[in-house]
Amino acid sequence: MASSKVRTSSFSRKVPAAPTSSIPGLKYGPNGTIFLSSGIPDLDKILGGGFHLGSLVMIVEDTEAPHHMLLLRTFMSQGLIHNQPVLYASPSKNPRAFLGTLPATLVSKDDKSLKSDSEQKDLRIAWQYKKYLGENKPPIEERDGKVEYCNDFDLRKPIEKHLIAGNRVECVSLLDHSSLAGIRDSCSKFLSQLPRYDGNITSAGRFAIQSFCAPQCEYYDKEWDMLSFIRSIKSMVRSSNAVAFITFPASLVSPSVSKRWQHLADTLLSVKAIPDEDKELATLLTGYQDMLGLLSIHKVARFNTQVPVILDATTYSMKLQKRRSLVLECLNQAPVDGSSGSSYGTSGGCSSSSNTGGLDF
Amino acid sequence: MADAVCRVLRDGALEGEHATSLTIYDSVDSPFGPVVFDYIFTHLSSFISSGKSQSRGIVLVAFSRSPSFTSELLRNRGIDIGTSHEWLRVLDCYTDPLGWKERIKDHGAIKTPLTEASDNVSLCKDVRNLNHLFSLILTLGKGLVEDGKNRFAVAIDSLSEMVRYASLSSVACLLSNLRSHAQVSSIFWLLHSDLHDTKAVASFEYMSSMVANVKPLTTENIDNFSLLEQNYKRGHFHASLKRRNGRVRVMREEFFIDNSLIKFTSMVAAGENAVAQSLVPKVQFNLQLSDKERNDRAKVVLPFEHQETGKSVQIYDGRKSGKHESIVVPVEEVKKHEGSGRGEIIYFRDSDDEMPDSDEDPDDDLDI
Repeated sequence: MASSKVRTSSFSRKVPAAPTSSIPGLKYGPNGTIFLSSGIPDLDKILGGGFHLGSLVMIVEDTEAPHHMLLLRTFMSQGLIHNQPVLYASPSKNPRAFLGTLPATLVSKDDKSLKSDSEQKDLRIAWQYKKYLGENKPPIEERDGKVEYCNDFDLRKPIEKHLIAGNRVECVSLLDHSSLAGIRDSCSKFLSQLPRYDGNITSAGRFAIQSFCAPQCEYYDKEWDMLSFIRSIKSMVRSSNAVAFITFPASLVSPSVSKRWQHLADTLLSVKAIPDEDKELATLLTGYQDMLGLLSIHKVARFNTQVPVILDATTYSMKLQKRRSLVLECLNQAPVDGSSGSSYGTSGGCSSSSNTGGLDF
Repeated sequence: MADAVCRVLRDGALEGEHATSLTIYDSVDSPFGPVVFDYIFTHLSSFISSGKSQSRGIVLVAFSRSPSFTSELLRNRGIDIGTSHEWLRVLDCYTDPLGWKERIKDHGAIKTPLTEASDNVSLCKDVRNLNHLFSLILTLGKGLVEDGKNRFAVAIDSLSEMVRYASLSSVACLLSNLRSHAQVSSIFWLLHSDLHDTKAVASFEYMSSMVANVKPLTTENIDNFSLLEQNYKRGHFHASLKRRNGRVRVMREEFFIDNSLIKFTSMVAAGENAVAQSLVPKVQFNLQLSDKERNDRAKVVLPFEHQETGKSVQIYDGRKSGKHESIVVPVEEVKKHEGSGRGEIIYFRDSDDEMPDSDEDPDDDLDI
């Protein structure tokens, strides 16, 4: 039976077509939210599309490892590629020097996305209705040849000079200001260029602060001032078309302030270093040799909805694929030696993921 | 592994990197921080004086030792003092840190002995002004190596003293300025961890690429005198190095003190599972396929897959009962196999007074 026409039954799932955004770099999501890409395709997928416009993203640094810089770099590079205004603040005397370390996009011959699609085509179903299968395939996202929502970055290649030339990236040094009022003024000036109205958006911006509570800063002792600064940033960002991205080393502030700080975040991620040449860890995890560090996702922003996001796994390992692009992988346990009989608390993971699968209607 | 730490300091930093920095911690339970500091200082000095390191000179900022102590130390360890003016400068913050002796001398109240007039040693009279201190260190260092590509190392005898005179954030600012200066190759400092709150200790750890901790052998409240005595001669040396690939290398050693000389020996590994277990909270089993596994899966022939092609397919269904017919007639086959099978019908009689005629096979009546 030739099945050239689309078969519609009364029980077909109605997926409302999301409006495609005319502005590159923005994606419309459910519940009237708009996403900005983080620069890492795997992270966008885990977070459900990217960073929400108007949200505050916090990265809890690990004092022993510089992995938060990787996330910061991809975030800023993605913004520059999409031609979005970027404000960068850091506790060094010359923040502009950091721009030279931003990565460029990866130009690769084999597209990763094609690989996953072809695998789906090869799904072999041992039943006789294979000939009807063609209609039920989910529509593959159109990949615009020119501008992608989220690019793969080549971490070994520096970004093209013309993207960071001139004043495209506004840089602020946190050392210049003895109090936070000066920094707040520059932030509010930047964010006032991107106001949010109910109508169409013209552009979206990115605002990044690196190591906000570094000990070199003069306001380092004033913890409550820092908290109220974060709160004012959050409220400013909520009413503008921007994403604020702040990294801070949590061990440098007192525990109660650190907790409050983490609660202020809309999306909370943390990075963790892994010990080198640790035989225990090598036997416990597969792929230990390639791992750079661990990324944990504690909180995912949800706007305009009460439904929380329950992730299958909250800890991912950061790896470099072909030493260039950053990928996030689930932690996989290495095969446990049968004779020993003990495994490290894995049963919880498997059962909880099957539960959340059951809730997917 | 203290030697590994010395080697990292010797190798210094690459172009564009921050200088490698080391924090040495000790506490009152195991007060051997200064001894470890001296060990590292003398090793680095020997590397520098023999030209094997990235730095061409070293600037010692001495808060808690007099300059004569330093020259004695170097002499005792066999390092040539005569050439020390080529590679060593000492910034003396010990003799008169706040300038009081100067003021008293001006009033003529006391006659102070002449301070050591040595071309190595410069006196700092105001340690509270950290900008001034920073410029002094830089001038001394540049005087050693001259401007240009050459680099020098900086050693700060006791950061605890410095933090006493100035605020934490200004000290942190000084350290980070030193670290990011292009001519500083490596920098190390000593800190007494129990003199400061956790925030201060954490902030210095944040700024260092290596952390060395001097710990006592046992930490329990010891009444046993012999064990207590052991703590005064031996201890543990923990070092964690932040490597360039983002991983942390943790090393542990034992040391013992012998006539103010410290000797390191390797430790019997106790084995810590805590780190591994804490990092892996919920780990799933590996459900991804490797390439080999994917190829094998592609070769598996599934039943009913090639229904419409009409070919006969060999299906392995567990029973080695010879060739199967094609799948076009699967149904009858299955039934036949079932019937000729291993099943049995066991008949239980309902009651004993039933006629004993039903013991025969009921199928006998059938006429096939």
